[in-house]
Parts: sequence; C-alpha cells; structure tokens
Amino acid sequence: MDLLAALETFAEQCNQNQRLRQMNRDWNRLVELWATDTDQRYWLKSEAGWITAGPGDAVDAELKISARNDVLHDIFSGIITPTEPYNAGDLLVKGRQDDMMRLDIITLLIWGE
Amino acid sequence: MKRVVSVSLGTDQRDHRVTLSLLGQTVMVERRGVNGNLERAESLIQILDGSVDAIGLGGIDRYLVMAGKRYEIADARRLALAAQRTPVVDGSGLKDTWERWIVEDLTQSHVINPSMPVLMVSAMDRFGMAEAFYERGYQVVAGDLIFASRINYPILTREELIELGRKLLPEMVKLPFWQLYPTGAEQLEAVPENHYEEYFDAADIIAGDFHFIKRYMPLRLDNKIILTNTTTDADRAMLRSRGARDVVTTTPVIEGRSFGTNVVEALLVALSGLTQEHDGWTELVAKARRELFKLTAS
Repeated sequence: MDLLAALETFAEQCNQNQRLRQMNRDWNRLVELWATDTDQRYWLKSEAGWITAGPGDAVDAELKISARNDVLHDIFSGIITPTEPYNAGDLLVKGRQDDMMRLDIITLLIWGE
Repeated sequence: MKRVVSVSLGTDQRDHRVTLSLLGQTVMVERRGVNGNLERAESLIQILDGSVDAIGLGGIDRYLVMAGKRYEIADARRLALAAQRTPVVDGSGLKDTWERWIVEDLTQSHVINPSMPVLMVSAMDRFGMAEAFYERGYQVVAGDLIFASRINYPILTREELIELGRKLLPEMVKLPFWQLYPTGAEQLEAVPENHYEEYFDAADIIAGDFHFIKRYMPLRLDNKIILTNTTTDADRAMLRSRGARDVVTTTPVIEGRSFGTNVVEALLVALSGLTQEHDGWTELVAKARRELFKLTAS
C-alpha cells in the first residue's frame, strides 16, 4: 500500500476543490504523519489554501498524526473516515483539536456521501 | 406534583428550580448541570430514572434534524439510554415547530423583516429556524463551520447548508460531544483570539445557540436583535450593555431564566404523556407555548 501516493492524490483532490481552497486559505500548517508499523514519516503542508505532501520528517509540525500504515492509507484514500480509528484508539493525534477536526472535515467533503 | 429534571452538560452555575402551573397541573422543574462530565450526567440520569416524570437532556442535542433526515449524536444516545423507565427528551420535538413560529411571529409583528441580514451562528442544530428565515426571504449566513470548527467559511445558501449537513453530520455525530460544542466551564469563556467579528458586524439579526454567540461576540452589538435560546438575567443585561436593541429568547423567561427546549419538551411529556411521535403533539406544543408566554408576560 503506497501511502505517499495516497497522500499526493489527497493533496491533488484538495487543490482541485475550490471550496476547500477557500476554507483553507488562512490555514497554514505542517502536519507530520508517522506510520508506526513501517516507521516511515511523511508530511502534509497547507499554505494559503494549497496542500502539498511528501516523504520525510516534518520539523516543527503543528499537528502530529500516527497510526499503522494501512490505517493512514485508508483515511487519506477515503476508504474509512478518521472518526472510526480515532474513536477506537488506532489513530493518535497530537496538536490542536481544531486542526484535527478540519482534517476530518476535509476528508468528508472530498468523500462524504 | 409532577417533577421534571433537566440534566445539562453545562455549568452548574446556571442551576435553578421553579414550580409552575401549566396545562392545569403543577410541576416542579429543576436544572442540574454536570460541568461537561458525561459520566456524571449518565449516573445522574440513572439515579433519576423512575423517580421523576420526565428528563430533559440539556447542553446536548440527541437528534439533529435537517431536510427530512435525522442524525443521532452518539454521546446523547448513550445518555438517553441510561434511563429505562422515565422518558428522556432533548428538545428536538419542539425546535422544529417552536423556533419556526418565533421567526414567523417576529416577522408578522414587524420586529424583524427580510431586509435585515441574519447571522445564524449554527444552523444545523436548528434547521427549523433557519428554514423559517430562508422561506421568508432573509439573507442568512450560517456559521456552523466558523463557530463549531473554526473554519472561516460562511455558508450562504440553504442548498449548501443541506449539502454540507449531508456530508458532515453522519460522521460528526459519532465524535465525542466535547469536540463539537462547548461544555462545562468552556461555556463561560470567551474565545481569546476572535477572528470572526466581521460576521457579527454585517448582521442585523444574530440567531442561534447562545453559547456560540457568547464565545464569539464582539464588544459592541449596537442595534442588533439577538434571537437565541437559554439565557439568564445577567446574559440579557450583558447583551443590552453591548448595545443590542432587543434580546428575544425562543423559549419563555420565567423567574429570570429562559427554559431550554429540552425542559419545555420534558414538561409537555410529563404533563400530557404524549411524545412528538403521537398525534396531537403539534397542537399541544402550540397550546403550551401560548400558556408559557402568558406566564412570561404576567
């Protein structure tokens, strides 16, 4: 399961969505994603409404998300919502609640209903 | 004497007790806040179960009803199921009718009119009120994403509100309630960095949940009409001191407190034995509304 490819597709979908670009226009954040089982790290960056993604450490990330590789892959591919693994304790988040909520909302607006 | 208790996730600083006559019966109504503690609310409901006539769920909705669809908040369901014998209601049986009627009444009596822009700080939790504004041609900004999630995105049409509700609510209702809405001491705090004053400034009518209004309102509310739910004397004095022209509560003010819709619904269930699923519920709601607002006036 290629998590990086999923993250890049996720970023592309956000960028193609005019409403999400407007929502994120003032949301400038660096997000670290740690796949705990493979010990691989990735990042997502939101700046002036545009999202980018890449491999590697995210120094000074405002939001840190960790879960197994398959859980992260499934969240950022729209296969599952973040709520389910979060409520089950399979998705750990360090950072502001608002930021996690926003990521939740972004995924729902891309894949919801 | 019948007894109704509202178990509220809000602060216990707003607790009160009042005895009143309604529909020909005397009833004692009590509010008990648990300061955001869900476990405490659950055990209190278990203790009250079977010993009171109806229980209201305050500071939390069980159901969000939008455009014919009903979404159930998981934490509220858990609370409601803590009672096996006494009916537990959240006010949704009233909101859809009562809050629509308020907009109609205020429009018909020329207190408000469709040329006045409306900020509904949250519309997904009181879609009946939002629809009443839309149907009468009011220009409504729904601030659900702004005030519940701090995403600076005003919802400008009924269609987009419904679309967003359909996409977001099925998952949002599964989240722990404290992530969705201020509970306990958080209800008393204003947000330190408030970037959303522009939405208040642009509106003539500020409508919706009072805790969102209180957390985000600017220092001045000159000439604005506030249409909201549960407030105290102190809340209304504070709104007036900031320049609000009028403060209208959707539920009646009795002994200095406006009752939550959950309290009124619990009252009706306790006194009539009917629930919103029964025939005659809407008529009962209308009758109780007339009586309760008479009490307010007297």
